[in-house]
Amino acid sequence: MTEKGRTDVREISLEALLLILEEGTLSHLVIAKALKKYQYLDKRERAFFTRLTEGTLERVITLDYVLSACASIPARKMKPVIRMILRMGAYQLLYMDSVPDSAACNEAVRLARKKGFRNLTGFVNGVLRTIAREKEKLLEKLCDPSQTDLSVRYSTPEWMVEEWKKAYGVEITEKLLKASLEERKTTVRCCLDKASREEIVELLKKEQVEGKLCVWPSYALELSGYDYLEGLPSFQEGYFVVQDISSMMVAEAAGIRQGFQIIDVCAAPGGKSLHVAEKLRGTGYVEARDLTEYKIGLLEENIARTGLSNIRACLWDAAKYDSTWEQRADVVLADLPCSGLGVIGKKNDLKYRITNKDLEELAALQRELLTTVSRYVKPGGCLIYSTCTINPGENQENVAWMLSHLPFEMESLLDYLPEELINSLTTEQRKDAKEGSLTFLPGINPCDGFFLARLRRR
Amino acid sequence: MAIRNIRTEEDEVLRKRCREITEMTPKLATLIDDMLETMYEANGVGLAAPQVGILKRVVVIDVGDGPYILINPVILETDGSQTGGEGCLSLPGKTATVTRPNYVKVRALGRDMKEYELEGTELLARAICHECDHLDGVLYTDKAESPVMDTEEYYETYQAQDEE
Repeated sequence: MTEKGRTDVREISLEALLLILEEGTLSHLVIAKALKKYQYLDKRERAFFTRLTEGTLERVITLDYVLSACASIPARKMKPVIRMILRMGAYQLLYMDSVPDSAACNEAVRLARKKGFRNLTGFVNGVLRTIAREKEKLLEKLCDPSQTDLSVRYSTPEWMVEEWKKAYGVEITEKLLKASLEERKTTVRCCLDKASREEIVELLKKEQVEGKLCVWPSYALELSGYDYLEGLPSFQEGYFVVQDISSMMVAEAAGIRQGFQIIDVCAAPGGKSLHVAEKLRGTGYVEARDLTEYKIGLLEENIARTGLSNIRACLWDAAKYDSTWEQRADVVLADLPCSGLGVIGKKNDLKYRITNKDLEELAALQRELLTTVSRYVKPGGCLIYSTCTINPGENQENVAWMLSHLPFEMESLLDYLPEELINSLTTEQRKDAKEGSLTFLPGINPCDGFFLARLRRR
Repeated sequence: MAIRNIRTEEDEVLRKRCREITEMTPKLATLIDDMLETMYEANGVGLAAPQVGILKRVVVIDVGDGPYILINPVILETDGSQTGGEGCLSLPGKTATVTRPNYVKVRALGRDMKEYELEGTELLARAICHECDHLDGVLYTDKAESPVMDTEEYYETYQAQDEE
């Protein structure tokens, strides 16, 4: 049978991947836009598109290694469109059991022809058939440390692997990289001012969503089985806030007491601000700032949903000094713009995009921001510095810089963090936490990569 | 794998009843691979064995979510209806209006000769019906509710109806 105007999901995926990897458009934007444009596709086709696009993206370095091994020329010398078609084909062959080898090959050939590479269809066919034939051997090779290095096995740039090795050693690095390729569940913080964690689990159950109790903290749940979280009544009525459990530790580390004046200088979408506001139990004040109208919109939406009255969203650039807050805050939350290398599992293109130079520039920007916002802390008050990266240059090194340039000292986190968390830390992490900082590592801790430090103003 | 010649309208083979398949043989496996390749090459969403001149009860279908292979398919259940343009690789460039069930449940053997059931709606349901008809020598033109027209002309004429 023929079909007029059949939508080719693989072609949509190809276009998206070219936009992301060849033109540098951010992956989550490209994917969200495509899903919106092709709303008429059925759920299965949309899921196929998402899986193929994100999966290929996640494993580009691994796939290029495979292509180079199976083609007469290295992947970097191939024409971008052909290389992308081959990457997608190789991904389906190696990682998507639901796609028969013949379909992966034939569709790639068809796509190449459609894109005007009639003379290269033989090449595409040849390379993919070779991969299909050698599949078992290739997959074995990709698991064997004696045949492939960490960069190839976990599709992470070599320089980044080297940085992690330097910071964390080979063994932890491998765990980190492995975790970055694994699917992570969504965690939420229950708003205990509305209901207990158990009551919220019951509410979710009625909405056909499973909420698994996290070991720590005692108010977090891991959700599964939902299609569109924002559509659930329990979400809309503010029974919980989406937040990674690592980031929930910021409010714990802050040691909130009633009546505190708190400023969160880079607050959107507001997870940490809302958390500290809840801990104030209607007293005190939280000012949740961010840079753009869009982000303020997000903050206001979340504040309205939770119904807290002691928090306000304000448009303010954290780089600009605000004299009205000079030495006024009991707590400053500084969750600064960072390289995001703790969440590469969630943002797949980040690892290919970022360079060593970017990391240095970010660290410099963070120091500038820290200098400005640390002035808001009143003597005896504290600043919680946090990032969603595991790059020591932006974390420990910035804290060390602060200690020597600003009137701050570190304070142990052990009195603030949940016991279950402290018990689960490695010896190294516990030592750091006692000194006042903690790096959460995916693969070691059950959460995103994240850093936080507690600094008290003298 | 190879691309096979697609038989067209006047070929008698399209009007014969196909035989049941009893076992998987290397020859049959090659036929299935070739049918898939031929279907993709021709930008089709379904192809039945008689269309490449083989009188065996096997069809391949791919409406965009990966291929289905149906050996000895039997339609168990249908529901609802859909009316719209339909075309066939054996009648290149032609289209006519055909009404088909909107839901179909079919039982068949897969490539591994294990029995399975497949449910389809809309395009998949249409393709299952269309391909199963081929196995009994039936073409969509037998069921057409409109004149068989050049595809372009058809859609110019019936566009408005299609969009209702």
